[in-house]
Order: sequence, then structure tokens, then C-alpha cells
Amino acid sequence: MEITEEPRGNAKLFRLQGRLDSNTSPALEERLVQAVTNGTRSVVIDFKHLDYISSAGLRVILKTAKALKRENGKLLLCCMQDYVKEVFEIAGFDSLLPILASREEALRQL
Amino acid sequence: MKAVGRHFFELKNDIRELAALSRHLETLADRAGIPGRTMLEVNLALDELFTNILSYGFPQGGEHRIRFLLDAGPEMLTIVVEDDGVPFDPVSCAAATTPPCGLEERRVGGLGLHLVRKLVDDMSYRRTAGRNVLTLRKRIDPQEPTAREAG
Repeated sequence: MEITEEPRGNAKLFRLQGRLDSNTSPALEERLVQAVTNGTRSVVIDFKHLDYISSAGLRVILKTAKALKRENGKLLLCCMQDYVKEVFEIAGFDSLLPILASREEALRQL
Repeated sequence: MKAVGRHFFELKNDIRELAALSRHLETLADRAGIPGRTMLEVNLALDELFTNILSYGFPQGGEHRIRFLLDAGPEMLTIVVEDDGVPFDPVSCAAATTPPCGLEERRVGGLGLHLVRKLVDDMSYRRTAGRNVLTLRKRIDPQEPTAREAG
């Protein structure tokens, strides 16, 4: 999996590409924990090029959302492929986390 | 194209084998003409089961092999997953309180099993000769494009 990260004002935009599973989720968790530790309070994760997610990936997303909430920050998700969106829905995470259709919409909500 | 094909493979109890799991599934999907979406769902179900077996199945460590047998008929994919880890019945897991399905774990480890239950049409478990044998059945939707057609 490839993770790219860019600042957007005070926020951070992460773009994911490939597969987010038990193998690759620790790398993403490290990057997100680091961002929150360094003071980032608003995070957008762009899922456009993510082809696959398992519960290991969902856990990292949920942990990050909780960590940001504790700091009065927020996590926004966007641009999911149908299959990835379906996994969020089956897990019931679509009601816990804001999932936006486009990156522009997500950035507007920051 | 009719979905017909059998595929057998083994994975070591090493999380890096997840990459091999998806390669094996792609091979079968291509050969048997199984829709890409169906195969992604099967991949996720087997990923969760495999990850679970690795997390809880071998407290003593050592090298083990997890066996997968996939049998694709025209409308139904039957999958048998076998391991020689500690007895664990994911079918009755919902009623249990010990990891990986206890209350505290439900969000964490239990989430994977929740996904498995939602992704397959039928699941049955037996313990035979010191092995966990889990049989899954997944309907193949002929309306979906096959992995090959979808590119």
C-alpha cells in the first residue's frame, strides 16, 4: 500500500492506494498517530485509489477518529470505491464516521 | 461463462501470506469466471478468518499450515478452511464471551467475524481429528461482471 500525506492549511490530507489489511495497516496507523501527536487536529483520508479494506484497516480508522475526537478534532473520509464503502456499511461504520463523495466536499467541511 | 473450478492451497501461519491468499483467489476467479465483486467479498471473509486463526489459534507458536479448498459450481462457491490450532467455532462465537468474540473484543477482533457472517451465505463448523474445519458457502451472482471482464 502507498500512503501520501500533504498539509492543507492546519489539516492533513492522506491518500491511500492499494490494499489496507493486517499487513499494511500498522504503517498507516503509525503515520496517523504521528500526525495527531504532532498536533494535527483535522484529517481527511482520500480512499479513491484504495481497492481493499479489512477489519484491521477499519480499526485504524476508528482509533484515529476516537483520538481526534478526544482532542476536539475531526476525521473526514472521502471518495470510496463501491466495494470499500460496502465494507464500511456492513461494519456499521458509515453511521459513526462522515463519508463524503468528493475530496472538495471533505475539505470544505474542515 | 459457467463458473466451474476447484482450487486447493495452503498458507503458512505468517501474516505476509495474505498477499498469497489474494493471488490464489485471483487465479481461481480467472479460471472459473467468478465475478470480481464476489471474489473481493470472498477475499475479505478468508482474510478475516486467516487473520483470526493467526491471532488466536497457535498460542504455542511453531509453524503451521492453514488449508483452503475452494469449489466453484455454476451458482455456488463452497470453501473449506482447515487449521490445527486450538478449537475455535466462529459460528457460535456470537454467544461466547472469550476472545476473539467477548464484549470488549467485539469492536476489535469480533468485527472481523461480523464481516465474515455478513459476506457469506452459509457457515458451518466441525472439529475433526484435532482440526478446525469451517465450511462456507457463497452464492455466485451471474449478473456481476467476471474478474476478467471487469479487467
